[in-house]
Amino acid sequence: MELLLDVSLYGSTLRMIAPILLAALGGVICARVGIFNVGLEGLMLTGAFAAITGNHLFGDVWLAVLFAVICSGLMSLILAWLTIGLNANMIVVGVALNFLASGLTTYCLSAIFHVKGSYYDPGMAGLPKWDIPLVGDIPGVGGILSGHSPLVYVAFVLAFVLQFFLFKTVKGFRLLAAGEHPEGARSLGIRIDRIRYWAVLASGVLCGLAGAQLSLGQVTQFTEGMTAGRGFIALVAVMLGQNHPLGVMLASLLFGFMDALSIRLQGYALPTQFTMALPYVMTLAAMFLFKDRAYLRQTGRID
Amino acid sequence: MRRLADSLRGLVHPLAALAAGLAAGAVAVIVVGGSVGETYAEMWKGAFGSFYYLTNTLARSTPIMLIGLGVALAFRAGFFNLGAEGQLLFGALAAAVAALYLPAPPALAMIAALVAGIIAGGAWSLLAGWLDVRFRLNLLVSTLLLNYIAIYVCSYFVSFPLKDTSGSAAINQTNMIDRAVWLPKLFKGMSVHAGFVLAAAAAVLLFLVLRHTVAGYHLRMHGSNPLFALYGGVRRGRLMAWTMLASGGFAGLAGAVEVLGTQYRYIDNALTAPGYAWSGIMAALLANSHPLGTAAAALLLAALQTGGMGVERNTEVPLEIASVIQAAIILFISARFTRALLKRRKARAADGTAA
Amino acid sequence: MLLQMEKITKLYGDVAANAGVDFTLEEGEVHALVGENGAGKTTLMRILYGEETPTSGTIRLRGKELVLRSPEDAIRAGIGMVHQHFMLFPSFTVAENIVIGREPRSGILFDRKKAAEEAARLSAEYGMPVDPHRRIADCPVGIQQRVEILKVLYQGADIIILDEPSAVLTPPEVKELLAAIRGLARRGKSFILITHKLQEVMDVSDRITVLRDGRVVATVRAADTNVDELSRLMVGRELVPLEKRPARPGDPVLEVEGLTVRGGRGKAKPLLDGVTFTVRAGEIVGVAGVSGNGQTELVEAIAGLRRIDAGRIRLCGRDVTGADARDLRRHGLAHIPEDRYRWGSAKEESVADNAAMGHTDSAKRSGFLLRGRLRRMAEAWIAGFKIKAESPAVKAGSLSGGNLQKLIAARELAHGSPLVIAAEPTRGVDIGAMEIIHAGLLKRRDEGGAILLVSSELTEILKLSDRILVLYEGRIAGEFRADEATEEAIGRLMAGVTDHAEHAVSAGRAGRSDGADLAASRG
Repeated sequence: MELLLDVSLYGSTLRMIAPILLAALGGVICARVGIFNVGLEGLMLTGAFAAITGNHLFGDVWLAVLFAVICSGLMSLILAWLTIGLNANMIVVGVALNFLASGLTTYCLSAIFHVKGSYYDPGMAGLPKWDIPLVGDIPGVGGILSGHSPLVYVAFVLAFVLQFFLFKTVKGFRLLAAGEHPEGARSLGIRIDRIRYWAVLASGVLCGLAGAQLSLGQVTQFTEGMTAGRGFIALVAVMLGQNHPLGVMLASLLFGFMDALSIRLQGYALPTQFTMALPYVMTLAAMFLFKDRAYLRQTGRID
Repeated sequence: MRRLADSLRGLVHPLAALAAGLAAGAVAVIVVGGSVGETYAEMWKGAFGSFYYLTNTLARSTPIMLIGLGVALAFRAGFFNLGAEGQLLFGALAAAVAALYLPAPPALAMIAALVAGIIAGGAWSLLAGWLDVRFRLNLLVSTLLLNYIAIYVCSYFVSFPLKDTSGSAAINQTNMIDRAVWLPKLFKGMSVHAGFVLAAAAAVLLFLVLRHTVAGYHLRMHGSNPLFALYGGVRRGRLMAWTMLASGGFAGLAGAVEVLGTQYRYIDNALTAPGYAWSGIMAALLANSHPLGTAAAALLLAALQTGGMGVERNTEVPLEIASVIQAAIILFISARFTRALLKRRKARAADGTAA
Repeated sequence: MLLQMEKITKLYGDVAANAGVDFTLEEGEVHALVGENGAGKTTLMRILYGEETPTSGTIRLRGKELVLRSPEDAIRAGIGMVHQHFMLFPSFTVAENIVIGREPRSGILFDRKKAAEEAARLSAEYGMPVDPHRRIADCPVGIQQRVEILKVLYQGADIIILDEPSAVLTPPEVKELLAAIRGLARRGKSFILITHKLQEVMDVSDRITVLRDGRVVATVRAADTNVDELSRLMVGRELVPLEKRPARPGDPVLEVEGLTVRGGRGKAKPLLDGVTFTVRAGEIVGVAGVSGNGQTELVEAIAGLRRIDAGRIRLCGRDVTGADARDLRRHGLAHIPEDRYRWGSAKEESVADNAAMGHTDSAKRSGFLLRGRLRRMAEAWIAGFKIKAESPAVKAGSLSGGNLQKLIAARELAHGSPLVIAAEPTRGVDIGAMEIIHAGLLKRRDEGGAILLVSSELTEILKLSDRILVLYEGRIAGEFRADEATEEAIGRLMAGVTDHAEHAVSAGRAGRSDGADLAASRG
C-alpha cells in the first residue's frame, strides 16, 4: 500500500510508458494498413543503439535522436520492401528483422566501441529533463508530470496527433481505407502500396524515438537486447487498444506501470526474478481481456 | 528424373540466399576494415578446419537442429510457435533435476532425464496451445511472452532452491550431474555427443511422419489452409495440442541433451546466451520448415557460429559477424525473390482468366 | 461516337483473354456485353478501367486516343466502374464511401459535413435516395449498389461500367436498378452492362455485344434480336436439356428442425431463424434465395463449421446437433463448399493432397497413408471429370477455377455419402464444367443419395431440384414441388413478398420504390 502511494513510482511509470507507447503507435499505423509488425522489437533495438552511437559520434543528444530515427527508419524500409514490394510473409520478415537488429547491434557494439555486452560512457550526456513551469508546482501531481525527458511528452502528444490524423484528415481517411479494403482503395486509384510504405516508415521512425528514450532517456547506455521484449509488449498494447491511438495510450499506461512497478519492487524482499517477470505475466493476463478478431478469422473461429 | 530436377531447383534459392548473406557479411567486414578473404578463410577453418573443429560444429548444431525440427513441425501446421527458448530452458532444467535426484541406475536415469526434458518442454509449449484453443490468445504473442517468463522462472529455481552451494557462489547453477549419467561422446576427447545422433534420427523420423502418415498429412493441410483442414474433418484443438506438445518436446529434448552431453549441470544463462533457440527458429525458416532441410540449415548456422569464433580468435573482426550473416540470409530467404516475382505474374494471369 | 475500343487483344501467356475485340459506345446508350464465364467480358472492362493494360489495340474517347495506366486515369477520363464485388468500405458511412478519392477538404482536414451534403445533393439530383450518415455495413445490398453508382457519378463519370449488377439483388431491386439506368441514360450518361442474364439485357439495353472465347461473335440492336438467339450466340451450340428422371424419394436422410443461428454482437436479427426441412434419399432439394439471406450460415451449420444456437439436426436418423465436421463426415456427410478457395482446397498443395482430404480413412494402414492408392484415385477423377491437370503432383492453385471445382465435386461425390451438400456448385465455372458437375449430382441422386443444393442461380435450382425451398432473411419463405415451381413465384418469395404479408412488406419498401419511380419519371 505504501508502495502504491509512492510518487516516484508514478513518475517512473510515465518514463517507462514512453518507449512502449511510441512503438505501439508505430504498431497502430501498421495495423491500420493491415500489417502485423512483429519487427517493432528489432526497430526499437536499432534505435536504441543508433542513439548511443549518434551521441558518441556527434556529441549532441539531439543529433543522436535524429540519427536513431534515421537508422531505424532505414531498417523499417527493409521490412517494407520485403513485405510490400516482394510479398514476403510479414511475420517471417519481422522475425528475421529482429535477428538482424540484434546481430547488427552486437556486431557494431564490438566493432565501434570494442566492448561486449554493454556500453556506458560516464561522460556522455543523456536527454535533458524538462521541468514544466506551472505543472511542476502542482502539489502531489506535479512531481509525477514534470521532470521527464522531452520524448516522454512527445510520446503522449503523438498519441493525440495520430488520433487526429487518422480520424480527421483526408490522408488519415485514405490510410484507413487502404487498410479496410485494399482492393476497393486500389480501384479508386488510391496508391495503397505507397501508403503502406509510409506506414511502415512511420513505425520505424517512432521505434527510433522509442529506442532513443530507452538508451538516452532512462539510462545513458546501451545493453545487448536492452529492449527486452518491449516491442512485443507494444504489439499487445496495439491489440488491447483496438488500434485506436488513445486506447493504445491507455494500454501502454498499464504496461508502463507494470514495468515501473517491477523495477520499484526490486528493493523489497521478493526474488528479483519474480519482479522482472511481472510485466510479461501482466501482459499475458491482459491478453485475456480482448479477442484478436483478425487472428480468429484467419483460423476459422469467428462465430 | 523430374523429382530430382525439382529438388535441385528447390536448392537454388537457399544457395542464392547464402551467397547474398555472405556478400552482406563481406560488406560488414569491409566496414570495420577487415580483409574479406582472410575472414572467410578463418571462418572455414574455425568450422571445418580440423576434426576437432568439425566435431565442435556438430556439437553446436545438435540443439539447434532439435529446436529447429520442433519449430518446423509447428510452422508446417501453421502455428507460429516462437517459444522455443522457454521450452528449451524448462527441458534443460527438468533433465538436470531428473538426472540429479532420480534414484535409478545411471542408464535409466539418463533416459529418464531425456524424457523429463521432452515432457517439460512439451508441457510449457502445450500451455501456449491451451491458451490459444481455450482462451483464444494469439499464439505468436503468447509464446514470445512465455519465453521471458520461463527465463525468469528457471533463473529463480537455479538461483535459490536448486543452487549449487558447494562451489563458488558467483554463478547460479545446479550441482554437477554424475558422470555415469552423461550422454556418451561419439569420439574420445571430442565435444560431439550421442545427442547429435538423436537429432539426425529425429530429422529423418519427422520427414517420414510428415510425408507418409495420416497425422502428418492433416498437419500439413492445416498449415496450408486451416479452413480446408477444418472442413475436411481435422480438429484444430486436438491437432494444436499434439503439435505444440511435440514441438516443445523437441526443444525440451534439445535442452536435455545440452545438459547431459555438454554442460553436465544447468547453468543460468548458459543456454540463452548462445541463442540456440533463435538459431533453431532461423534454421526452420531457412529450410521453409522442411525437416531434412532444417537439419542441413542447423549445420550451416552452427558452422557460421563456430566459424565466427575462429574469426574472432585470429582476426580483428568480432565474432558477431556470424549473426549478421545469419540474419541477412534469413531476410533473403524470407523474401523468396524468385518465387515472389513468379507468383505475382501468375496471380495477374489467373485474375484475368478466372473472370 | 463517344468511345471506341479497337482490336483489343490481351494475352496471358499463350491464352488470349481478348482477341481483336472491337467495341463502341454512343452517348446516352446502354450497351450490354454478354457471354459465358471466361468469355473475356471482365478482362475487356478491366482494360477500359485501367486495371489491365492491353497487349495490343487502341482506345479512343471522343475520337482522341486514350492511354489508361491505372483506374485513376480512367476516372479522370470520365470512366467509372461498379465492380461485381462491391468496392465499398463497410465501416465507413454512405457519404464517406461516395466521396472517397475526391474528398471535400478544408486544409488538410476531411470535411465530413460537406461530404454528407454532397452525397445528399447527388442523391436528390439523380433520384437515388440514400442516408448519407448510415454505415455501409448496415445498408441492404440494394442500397449499397446505389451508393456504388452515386460514387461513380460523384467522380464525374460519363461512362459507367456495371459488372454483373443484378447478381446479388432481389427481383424488385433489379427492376429499380434497371429503371435507374434508363433514367440516367436519358440524361446523357452511357452504360456498359456486363451480365449473363439475357432477359435483363433485352429489357434495358440499346445494343448488345456477344463475346465468346475472347472474340466478338456479334453486335446487334436489342430490338432486332431475342433471348433465344442471344443464348445460341453465347454458347455457340444448342443447349441440350438435361435428361432427368422423376425422383423416387426414400427415407429421410437429413432432418433439420428449428435451426437457429444468431448474428454477431449487436445484431438483433438472427441469421437463421427456426429453419425446418427434410431431405430424403434419392431427391435433390434446392434452396433458392438471393445470396446473403442465410444460405452460407445454413450450409456451414449443417456441415459442422458454425455454432448452432438452437434447433436439432439429424443425419441418417442419428442426432448430430453440434457435431463437428469430422463426426458429420463419419456419419455420412459430403460437402461441396460455397467457396472453393476458402474452404474447399489448399492451393499451395498438390492436386493429390487436395484430393485425399476426407479419403484418408479408406487409404491408410496403421496410421500410414497409402499414397499410391490416393494417387490412383486422383488420376481416376481427373479422367472421369475431364479435369485439365498435368498430373496429380501439380499444385491445386495452378488449376483453373472450373477444373478445381470439378476436382472438389469429384472428391465429395466419390464418398458415396448418404448426404451431399452442394453449395453454389457451379459458381464462376464454364459451361462444360457445369454440365459435368450437374451430371455428377444427378447420378448421385439416382444412386439414392440425398442432395441439398444451395444456389443463388435460379436457373440451376429449377434445372436440378425435385423440391425447392426459398430462403428469405434466414427463414424458409415457401416450398414448391419442381413441377409447380415457376420463376415468377419463386422470385416473389425471394424478394420477401408473401401473400398475406404483401401489404406490410410493400409498405415497408415504399421509400425505396418511390425513389425508383422518381428516377424513371424524371428521365
